[in-house]
Amino acid sequence: MTTTLTPPQQPAPEKTPGVKSSRSRRPRSARAGGQFHAGPLTYVILALFTLGSLFPLFWTAVAASRDNTRLAQSPPPFWFGANLFDKAEVAWKDGNLGEAFINTTFVAGTSALTICFLSTMAGFAFAKLRFKGSNALLLVVIGTMMVPPQLSVIPLYMMVAKLDWSDQLQAVLLPSLVNAFGVFFMRQYLIQALPDELIEAGRVDGASTWRILWHIVFPIARPAMAVLAMLKFVETWNDFLWPFLVLTQHGSPTVQVALAGLGRGYTPDQALIMAGALLGTLPLLLVFVIFGKQIVGGIMQGAVKG
Amino acid sequence: MPSRHSIAAPPVKGGAAPAGSRPVGSAPEDERQRAKLSRRWQRDLRWSPYAFVAPFFLLFIAFGLFPLLYTGWASLHSVELTAPTDMEWAGLKNFTRIFDDEFFWNAARNTLFIGIVSTVPQLAMAMGIAHLLNYKLRGSTFWRVSMLAPYATSVAAATLVFVLLFGRDYGMINWALDFLGINPVDWQAGWASKIAVSTIVIWRWTGYNALIYLAAMQAIPHDLYESAALDGASRWRQFFHVTLPSLRPTILFTVVVSTIGATQIFGEALLFDASKGASGGSEHDFQTLGLYLYEQGWVNQHLGRASAIAWTMFAILIVIGLVNSVISRRLRTSS
Amino acid sequence: MRAIRTARHRAVVLATVAALGAGLLAGCADDGKDEDAASSGNSDGKTTITVGLFGTFGFKEAGLYDEYMKQNPDIQIKETVTERNENYYPALLSHLTQNSGLQDIQGVEVGNIAEITSTQADKLVDLSKYGKKADFLESKWAQGTTKDGKTVALGTDVGPMAICYRKDIFEQAGLPTDREELAKLWEGDWAKFIDVGRDFKKNAPKGVTFMDSPGGLLNAVLSSETEKFYNAEGEVIYKTNPAVKDAFDLTADAASEGLIGKQVQFQPAWDTTIAKGKFAAMSCPPWMLGYIESKSEASSAGKWDVAKAPKAGNWGGSFLAVPKAGKNAEEAAKLAAWLTAPEQQATLFAKRGSFPSAPATYEGEQVRAAKNKMTGDAPIGEIFGDAAKTSPVQVIGPKDQIIQQGLTDNGVILVTKGKSAAQAWSNAIKTIDNNLEK
Repeated sequence: MTTTLTPPQQPAPEKTPGVKSSRSRRPRSARAGGQFHAGPLTYVILALFTLGSLFPLFWTAVAASRDNTRLAQSPPPFWFGANLFDKAEVAWKDGNLGEAFINTTFVAGTSALTICFLSTMAGFAFAKLRFKGSNALLLVVIGTMMVPPQLSVIPLYMMVAKLDWSDQLQAVLLPSLVNAFGVFFMRQYLIQALPDELIEAGRVDGASTWRILWHIVFPIARPAMAVLAMLKFVETWNDFLWPFLVLTQHGSPTVQVALAGLGRGYTPDQALIMAGALLGTLPLLLVFVIFGKQIVGGIMQGAVKG
Repeated sequence: MPSRHSIAAPPVKGGAAPAGSRPVGSAPEDERQRAKLSRRWQRDLRWSPYAFVAPFFLLFIAFGLFPLLYTGWASLHSVELTAPTDMEWAGLKNFTRIFDDEFFWNAARNTLFIGIVSTVPQLAMAMGIAHLLNYKLRGSTFWRVSMLAPYATSVAAATLVFVLLFGRDYGMINWALDFLGINPVDWQAGWASKIAVSTIVIWRWTGYNALIYLAAMQAIPHDLYESAALDGASRWRQFFHVTLPSLRPTILFTVVVSTIGATQIFGEALLFDASKGASGGSEHDFQTLGLYLYEQGWVNQHLGRASAIAWTMFAILIVIGLVNSVISRRLRTSS
Repeated sequence: MRAIRTARHRAVVLATVAALGAGLLAGCADDGKDEDAASSGNSDGKTTITVGLFGTFGFKEAGLYDEYMKQNPDIQIKETVTERNENYYPALLSHLTQNSGLQDIQGVEVGNIAEITSTQADKLVDLSKYGKKADFLESKWAQGTTKDGKTVALGTDVGPMAICYRKDIFEQAGLPTDREELAKLWEGDWAKFIDVGRDFKKNAPKGVTFMDSPGGLLNAVLSSETEKFYNAEGEVIYKTNPAVKDAFDLTADAASEGLIGKQVQFQPAWDTTIAKGKFAAMSCPPWMLGYIESKSEASSAGKWDVAKAPKAGNWGGSFLAVPKAGKNAEEAAKLAAWLTAPEQQATLFAKRGSFPSAPATYEGEQVRAAKNKMTGDAPIGEIFGDAAKTSPVQVIGPKDQIIQQGLTDNGVILVTKGKSAAQAWSNAIKTIDNNLEK
């Protein structure tokens, strides 16, 4: 199956609608940056946007390091107080965050990987295979994307209760696998990223559809799969309503469930709540910082163009 | 470079099997062998698409269809959360009442307003940032990652911070306004509250969309710019006459996704003034449809009414989706 | 070429993520061991009772679990706490309707207790055999009892209300500061209380209001009525009950005259008005003293005092219920009864400030001699104890919380934002009616 291992070589038949183009590949330099060098003004504007983007995160940490009284005074605090590590420690212990991180990593990771796999399979079928009823089925997929999630929670809970899955991670994991967006996303991506010639070449070599999926579709879909995995991971990590209904703090909590008990009392401790919010976000932020280049690269490669 | 094979328009429609096009042998044994292969081939072609979509649909039937049907059934009943199985037939009453439910329409207007105010500037800013990021930059990864950082924050964490920043009496934003000599604003009432809620959405999603636009911009062939430059077009003209038109499909995609997202805005509005429960401000200033549904179902425990609201939202979304697809088809054929 | 390179990058990413996950696992191995030890303890014949609470109970912090486990060596207690009742209660309700995911003991807030007794009683153990009716305030016991006489929830704390006021600010405004004298001034009628507020305003320090928030005043007035939103037959009467409209108008008038701060209770900005002394008086149950203390600077210790409210009322308090579906319902019921018994309630008051619903404790030393840092010498135990005994046995209904929330957050607060009382009332009842309609 040599054909399947080479990346698609055929130049795309048409580049941008309405524009004739002889070159299908841009020089490499274009990818590393645009055509022009940035002037000082660009840096200034970008710095402003970055400030807007990072300031709330920074201020979460500032708030976590203060106390209630200081948080409700004018002018607000701009720099760290003394409480950050104390609050973080309390949040960590009270919230049982160690276990929660493991559970959430497991649920979000499994969910993301499974969805990637299933969505690519289904997306491929919808994008490139012909079968009876495909249009109707695709409509169902798109339709499920539009169901408001707040309500399904009640009937879904009735089901989970019948199955006696309370406090078990599969109660969060299994329903999260229904992901119409993933199927739609992969379909859109594969329609344009997967040339029909490649599939035909595979067929000519006598490959079954399954082999084509495995050896042609998956390699090509990889960037989009990476994006989908990240989207799903972040979404599952941050989900609250449903996990809160089926899990408790000492029955395999996820991070957001664990955080729900923080700062409790007639006097909610704002700083502690902020510290919890910060700790809950930190792992994702760390991953973003460490693998920023790859994640950004993934999003950009996987970005669907239409 | 898989991703760079842009816009569909495949030369050959469908992945039909070129079974007959192989060189033909003549021995009868070969013939039989081929017949067998061909049968398997046919089976594969016929059934594997179904096998590929089956896992999704099985999961959907298990965990998606039942809730959908149940809420559909519940929407035709008067039923309370305190006893979800105790249903009393109500016909279409839950639906017809929506027509004169001023809170529903208020929520619909809020959703529309917040949807527009959060989507349009967000995408416009994302476009601007993408344009800037498309220059040759020092530390480009740093800029890109910082833009994406808000996306890692959960809705709850983001809203908690913004509630403090938008505080009426001691929030940083009003402090800054005061510093500039502007009167402080009550960010939890009236138009200001809708803008504040939109800000949270904008903050979380702008960077993500900027990266999508950036990707699409980098896929625009270089020579388009070269020829535009030869024609003496300024950078701005190049942006408007080369970049934007080439990004049209991407823009459409982000608009569709953002529209669906905007229609379902919920967490930001719920937590933005948690002291008012799920009413979204004293005068339902920023109660979105998602929040209204939540209020009726979870706070007031009217499962039947909430189900009807959910299905109405669902119907509205489908209409929006249809309009969207019509428009995008028009745009595609016209270009 | 590039494809291969990115593939390698991605492999590196995956490997590192995996390593990170493993690191997390390793880092938390200690916690894991504790858990194992606990569960193996279970197999040695220990019974684990799980307790699901929200917010404020403080059993664990007061050492009550430890004490019980010492007395009953084969019992283990595990607690799950949710900060906000708004999150906790809908989940509890779903769990009850499905008989699943329940803890052995569940806390219930007084605002939800009527709904629980009227709709979920068949899912709960009758606790009348475990708790003693005579131990509790009559109203508290009644609230946890169904119409057909099953007691499905035992009372923990109550919130008898008094008026907390700043002596220094009253003095600046030329008002008397003695608690007896003040109590006489407004005894028996909230309107008299507002009249004191009008006097206050004449000489008030700049930027200081008489009361803290419209919600606080409305709540206090309504709590002192026997019937507010429901009548004894269980019908919704909030719109026609003159007491409700009077309370609303009184609050709206006070707000429009500027006697009340433009705040919503329990918001950070409201906290600051406590810290900075931006108001002179508030209606306060015992737990509010703890709140005041936590929001105040040390310098304001002793500046507060407590006087009897015009009419006694109750604000807040909770219950414990035992679902039948629990694995250890019998043991759980015993624990619930123990936790709500007078001795434990007294301990809880001493350590956590939760005011007992067991009147026997009011004569005990722990309550009688109680003092609070903020209120100096004020005999708070005595004042709150009297208020608890004289509070009306109020008719409560399943949707009390929704109605009160509507009147407050969709109602009187609007007066502080420039709306008229009539506009505020109509906005409130529209919201409430829509929320009540099935």
